[in-house]
This record gives sequence, structure tokens and C-alpha cells, in this order.
Amino acid sequence: MSNKIVPTIYRTVIDDVIASIKGEFEDFGVSEDVLVELQHKWETKIMESHVAEFNSSNEAPQPHFPPHTMQMMPQYAAVHHSYAPPPPPPQLPQQQSQVKSEPMDARYMLNAANYTLPPLPGPKINGAARPNPGGQTSVLSFPSQGRPNIPQVDGPSEDSDDSATPPPAMYAPRTSHPSLPQPPVASTSSTAPVDSEAINSDLDDSEDDDEDLEDGAGANTDIVFCTYDKVARVKSKWKCVLKDGMIHANGKDYLFSRCTGFVQPSPLSAFPNECTASSIGCNHPSTISFCF
Amino acid sequence: MPSTFYEIYRGSPLGIALCDSVDDYVRSGEITEELGRIVLAEFDRALADAMANIDARASIKGHLRTYRNCVDVWYFSLRDATFKMHNKQTVSTSRVKIVACKHGDAVALDLGVDPETGEVIPGSRRGKRG
Repeated sequence: MSNKIVPTIYRTVIDDVIASIKGEFEDFGVSEDVLVELQHKWETKIMESHVAEFNSSNEAPQPHFPPHTMQMMPQYAAVHHSYAPPPPPPQLPQQQSQVKSEPMDARYMLNAANYTLPPLPGPKINGAARPNPGGQTSVLSFPSQGRPNIPQVDGPSEDSDDSATPPPAMYAPRTSHPSLPQPPVASTSSTAPVDSEAINSDLDDSEDDDEDLEDGAGANTDIVFCTYDKVARVKSKWKCVLKDGMIHANGKDYLFSRCTGFVQPSPLSAFPNECTASSIGCNHPSTISFCF
Repeated sequence: MPSTFYEIYRGSPLGIALCDSVDDYVRSGEITEELGRIVLAEFDRALADAMANIDARASIKGHLRTYRNCVDVWYFSLRDATFKMHNKQTVSTSRVKIVACKHGDAVALDLGVDPETGEVIPGSRRGKRG
């Protein structure tokens, strides 16, 4: 399965990279601790993205706290997502208690039905799990965060909401009356594209321009990185042979060594839009001309 | 064996995770910019080597919204695309972008016209069915 081989491949790549740059780090006089931290940071970000099913077998038995975070996350993954506020709580000044808060939150989540109990044995739980002078601080903050009905502050950022919600509302009037003045739009992120698209709305597909401008390679964009072996067009149908590709779709990663593509224009438009080089800020001044 | 590898995979989740981690350390001064560049170059090489060893085929079908070729890089934007993996797994997306760099001596039909003069580039396969 293309997705099941992803963890193996990623593990291979990570190990290969770390082994290769170990010598470079020594040449530059950087301590190996930084290399280990870099590796764990990299692995943590990958596991957080959940692009494939990673197991926790890649953790290193070290007393440092970042590996413990890695160990906790797969086990408490389901709990972690629904319990977003505690991990980076601003009122916890210490890194130690911030990391230790994760297993404690899991306990409170499991005991959500018996919420009245945890505050009382709070200090004892802390003492039993991890004797820590900072336990007092974490106990004080837990009761306020242990409520299951606390409003969560995480979730899609406002920027992504702005980019997701306005386009459907904006484009309906524009496509029908491109010459009319556009209605004022509250979102600030799409102000610049609106001005340019009002002028060129009859030339370019504004939706795709908006996609290209606003979205580089966000985690919520489905994108394929690969090499092409052959790209051919017969009338309006495109056939391509792609090699060594990485697909990111629906939040998951897939890999392929060879992919054949067969795409044709959508029924709505007879010919797909050709984007000129200038629309992506490419320095190449050329436009590709096609004869049909 | 080429000495440089494509950097497009740095935009993948794996690459972005590494770039962000390296950027954090460069910004904090724990590693230099040059060392960060070396790390990313090693990532390009390691990923290219790993991808060359996998054997998984797939196919894509979809509606083409936009196509673009700039400096031998093809960009496609597809709607309602379906990916079929070699194990019959199917993945459907409403929108997907494809970024494809040239693989070896890859040739793209339809190219072959000098964009400035309009002359056919000698040796190109323009007009030939292949």
C-alpha cells in the first residue's frame, strides 16, 4: 500500500539524513545534542501531521523531555486532539510541567465523569506520578483546564477561514458582472487578488489564481510532487507519465515510483486555462503557444 | 550520478517539517545557514535515493483546470481527481495540484517552439506523434 510504505520510507530518509549530516555537524563544531534534538523535532512534526500511521517504535530511550513527548503523543493521540488547550498553556512557565501536563490531562479526560474528585487528590496524583516541585503550579492550572466543556481556542486559524469562506461568495457576482464594482469584502487576505482579478476576470479563472496566490504548499492542499517522464496532449486530452512522486491527499501521504495520468478538461469548459509564466512570478518571460 | 537533486520535495510534509526544524535552529543561532543548507541538500539526496527504491504504481484521472510549463516544470491543477494505487486503493480529491520536474531526458510534446521567435526548435518532437 502506498500509504503503508510511507512510514518505512520516511524512517529510512530520516536515518539517512541524520547519518549523513553527523559528520557535517562535527565539522562545523556543533554538538551532537543539537543533531539529536533536530531529529526529534523533525520526527515530532511528522507524527503530528498524521500523514501516515506512525508507530512509536522510533523513540530513543533518553531522559530528555522531547522523546517523552513523542512517546506520549501516539498513545494519547485521540485524547490529545480533543484536549488541545493544555499542551501549550501560557500560564505554565516551566517546560517540565508543560510536558508532564499531557499524561495528567489524559487522566482528567478519562475521569471527566468524576470531575469533582480530581481537584482533591490533585497534589497526591502529582506526587505519585512524578515527584516534582513544580507540581503545585500544574495542579493549580489543571482544575481550570480539566473541564471537558472548556471552549477550545485551537482549530483552523482565521486566515484559513478567510481564504476558505469568501471565495464562493465573491466569485458569483464577479463572473456574472465582471465590469461592475465589486462589493466590499471584509477579509483582508484577499484584498490584493480582488483588485487584480477584477481587471483580468474575463481572462483568467479567478478561483485558480486565488489558489495559486494564497496557497503555497499548505497542509490542507492536495498536491503531488514528482518528476515527469512524458507529458503529451492529444487534442484536449492529456496523458502524462510521472515518476518518483509523493502525493499528499486528504491529509495522507502516498508514494509512487511511476504514475500514469489521464486528464481531460472539465465538461464546463472546452479548453482548460493556460497559465502564463507571469502569473506565477516566474522570471522566464516566455509564454507557451499552442496550436489547436 | 547528479550532484544536485530536485528541491521540490522540500514542499512535501516531510520536507516542510525538516525545513521548519532547521529554520528554528538557524534562527536561534545553534546552527549556521550554511549547515542548514547542507542538511536540506542531504534531505534532497536521501529522499531521491529512497524514492528510487520503492516500487509502487499509481494512476491519476481527473479534470484538468489549468496547465502551465515554466522552465521545464509542469504545473497542473486538477478537479475531481481520483488516484488509484497499485493495491487498488482509491483516493479522491476535489482539487489537486501537480508539480512535476523533468526526469532525465524527458520530453514534453507540444513544446518545441521558441517562444520569442516562434521558430521550431531543432531536435524537438513538435508535430511528431510518439
